Amino acid sequence: MANYFNTLSLREQLIQLGQAEFMDPADFSDGVDALKGKKIVIVGAGAQGLNQGLNLRDSGLDVAYALRKEAIEQKRDSWKNATDNNFKVGTYDELIPTADLVINLTPDKQHTNVINAVQPLMKQGATLSYSHGFNIVEEGMQIRKDLTVIMVAPKSPGSEVRAEFLRGFGVPTLIAVHPENDPQGKGWAEAKAYCVGTGGHHAGVLKSSFVAEVKSDLMGEQTILCGLLQTGSILSFDKMVEKGIEPGYASKLVQYGVEVITEALKHGGVSGMLDRLSNPAKVKAFELSEELKDIMRPLFQKHQDDIMSGEFSKTMMEDWANGDANLLKWRAETGETAFEKTPAGDVKIGEQEYFDNYVLMVAFVRAGVELAFETMVDAGIKPESAYYESLHETPLIANTIARKKLFEMNRVISDTAEYGCYLFDQACKPLLTDFMAKIDTDVVGKNFNEGKDGAVDNVKLVQINEVLRNHPVEIVGQRLRKAMTAMKAIKTV
Amino acid sequence: MKEPFVYINQLTVQYPPQVVLNSLSWTINKGEHYVLGGKSGSGKTILAKAIAGLIPYQGTISISFDRTHSLPAKVIYISNWYQFTNLEGDRNFYYQQRYNHHQGQDTLTVKAELEHFAQEEGLAFSAIENRIKELGFADVQQSQLIELSSGEHKKLQLIKGLWARPQLLIIDEPYTGLDKQSRGALNDWLDELAAEGLQLLLITNDRNLPQAMNRFAHIVNGQIAIESDISLLTKDAIRERKELPSFLKIIPETPYDTIAQLRNVSVRYGEKEVLKNVSWEIKVGEKWLLQGPNGSGKSTLLSLINGDHPQAYGHDISLFGHKRGSGESIWDIKEKIGIISPEMHWYFDQNATVWHTIASGFYDSIGWFIDVKFQEKKQIEELLEFFDLTAHKNQLLRTLPLGKQRLAMLARTIVKNPPLLVLDEPCQGLDSEQTRYFNAVVDELALHGKTLIYVGHYESQLPSCIEHKIVLEKGKIKEVKEVTRVMS
Repeated sequence: MANYFNTLSLREQLIQLGQAEFMDPADFSDGVDALKGKKIVIVGAGAQGLNQGLNLRDSGLDVAYALRKEAIEQKRDSWKNATDNNFKVGTYDELIPTADLVINLTPDKQHTNVINAVQPLMKQGATLSYSHGFNIVEEGMQIRKDLTVIMVAPKSPGSEVRAEFLRGFGVPTLIAVHPENDPQGKGWAEAKAYCVGTGGHHAGVLKSSFVAEVKSDLMGEQTILCGLLQTGSILSFDKMVEKGIEPGYASKLVQYGVEVITEALKHGGVSGMLDRLSNPAKVKAFELSEELKDIMRPLFQKHQDDIMSGEFSKTMMEDWANGDANLLKWRAETGETAFEKTPAGDVKIGEQEYFDNYVLMVAFVRAGVELAFETMVDAGIKPESAYYESLHETPLIANTIARKKLFEMNRVISDTAEYGCYLFDQACKPLLTDFMAKIDTDVVGKNFNEGKDGAVDNVKLVQINEVLRNHPVEIVGQRLRKAMTAMKAIKTV
Repeated sequence: MKEPFVYINQLTVQYPPQVVLNSLSWTINKGEHYVLGGKSGSGKTILAKAIAGLIPYQGTISISFDRTHSLPAKVIYISNWYQFTNLEGDRNFYYQQRYNHHQGQDTLTVKAELEHFAQEEGLAFSAIENRIKELGFADVQQSQLIELSSGEHKKLQLIKGLWARPQLLIIDEPYTGLDKQSRGALNDWLDELAAEGLQLLLITNDRNLPQAMNRFAHIVNGQIAIESDISLLTKDAIRERKELPSFLKIIPETPYDTIAQLRNVSVRYGEKEVLKNVSWEIKVGEKWLLQGPNGSGKSTLLSLINGDHPQAYGHDISLFGHKRGSGESIWDIKEKIGIISPEMHWYFDQNATVWHTIASGFYDSIGWFIDVKFQEKKQIEELLEFFDLTAHKNQLLRTLPLGKQRLAMLARTIVKNPPLLVLDEPCQGLDSEQTRYFNAVVDELALHGKTLIYVGHYESQLPSCIEHKIVLEKGKIKEVKEVTRVMS
């Protein structure tokens, strides 16, 4: 199979990459009608599979689960998930031929096998749906021409997709129709209905393409979302311990700090996050992040280039073929870091203290979000797509670090994201050696404001605020966040 | 000779613009077990938290612990509402999560939580084995924290606090949500601890108390006042009865005879069966009481009716004339139900104002609403007036005293004038006067064609419109009978 993106002409590549239309709520007035009474069969009952299925059924749709024979016979977790919630479960042979819509919600790595098993069983004219386009775009999977291929990609972990639906709300969602597979022209209607069934239409829906989704998703997860949070966390922890901060305190500050800080990002964007700092601390965070952007820009660009050229997916698929040798080795190494092995201390850290004592992380997050966004947009991805794959997802990943550090983050994200995260982390740390050598505990571990009188230069502050607020990620973010009318505040401290 | 134990001098706590406690002075002597009662919103919880060192204050509070005593020299405060944070750092749960089953959902079991607590506090499990049984808590130890009902969560907090045997134990509303039997067991345990030298401070207006209680106090204008008898503590003023808003006098349309019909329904989580062969038919207009001990399956049964339980599919359940799983969405079901429960209240949106809380009732969502129409706004205004909440409409729900929060939640429940009202322990945390008022409103609503399912533990605190009763025990139906006039 050939990389689909690389088979396209430059013109066609740009069209598909640039596909990003923020949809109007009125576009969803038909509700779930396009799927009403149709048979929906979900393949895979993990976090996305189970929770999306629960939502679709609760929206009045007919949902069953197709699992591999061994998963059923051995009563694996996927079987338990589906049967514990009273879903009908059957083998591929039993259920796929009856399906009007087959939703593939298995991990990326299994897609080729799953599609090869499922495709011959699907009935004429049925629809196949993905939540991520890797298999189509990077692996170049060819789907039978009578089948419609759509994507519905909620931009949240599966548990959130469920929780937000039950709250009467939803999570922002990308939908797409594969241009090579829409023989009946029903793709968009079904993708919209599916999106309504999961509640996504309440939180903002982006009409995207398989190509735009894959190229931006890979970029976001490798750089700002997982890669930089990992690098920043480990470097911050090591610096504090080196400078004599109590390790339990350092561990707690790093583990929970990123969640508290990005909660401000979620509600108010990059400028909202920096507004939580005192004026002198804001100036400092700004200066640090400017420096970080200069240092890391070439690395961000390299990641984007490798993603666009297919180099990244090629290398990763070689590792798949090699029994995940690199992935497993790097995973083990992450588990051995001092940060991972030092439990959070039993000290109370107030909400504001997480900002005042962790200015460095604010700088890391600003630099990472803006760089990822800028690099994606420079590569032809639209600002709306770039926003969801950078700023929007950062707090969601930070939540996983707060739960159980980097181990948890790497467990929850896909293997694809994890693999890219390690690549980034390994390249980024040496880049930052000189930068980190100058860092002291005033920006990580101790209150930056201590011993300072709080004075700042007026003109400088005005200029900094202007730069922050006029960044394109802030402009597009303001509009997209409005669509998430009732964003949930989470309890962070 | 009286020996001071807790000494409070010139204690002031302000939540601008309000001064809650104003230069309050109070001495609790050795051997004195106080009931702190009185009006809601008078500052009881704030005083308790100040004594326990949980909030900042001005003034002096000192506690003379006996360092030689076998009881640990410390104070423990058990809050009115359970705090549910598990060890893994998971703090954000959602209201229906206990019904959605997902393998590898790594919340702790009750047993693990208790063992962790024992290890932290240096306690022995053997010390409480019998207590756990008496409180009806023995069977739930293998359950995950997320699966517990609100009453079971309350018990878990109580067990931990009493097990630790601090020299000063403060319990805020100890009986909230407890079934009758556990309540007796709790009082016995408290009396035994008191005999060992533990001192109690209970915040409650309840009369059914441990025998050890020997002092009574309330807070009047930010100052402590001590009374010789519990009956002298201030009560909330009796509410003036207002005319029910006219939109609630309209009988909801019900083009079906039966609200809900369940035939042989069972619910299980893995090996654990929480409902066994339950059959129940509710006809339009009937007024039902649902009872049973904590953990008997009441909330699970209700969740099958209100669309919250995934296992409702695949069972013989009909709701509002439609077989469950025949193409209806949960929003089609919820539209016909007004529901209030301790869990729903607990998980309710932290950022919702009173007005938003009520408005969200039109959309069956938690604190979220779209575009409220003119007629709907009028109904919200009328309910704010009816429940004396107009002055608080822009306040955050969570900042009001619990009694007022419950009224706002009730307003949310009825704002769309639904055919079915599901009131799951609606008076939990309310005092007897508030409860009487609340139930009188329920009785009046019942006159106008609504069907009612009411959950309440205490016979003396029920609306008088109840005419049928169903009792659960360990997931099975123990009794179904007609009742005429539960109370007069």
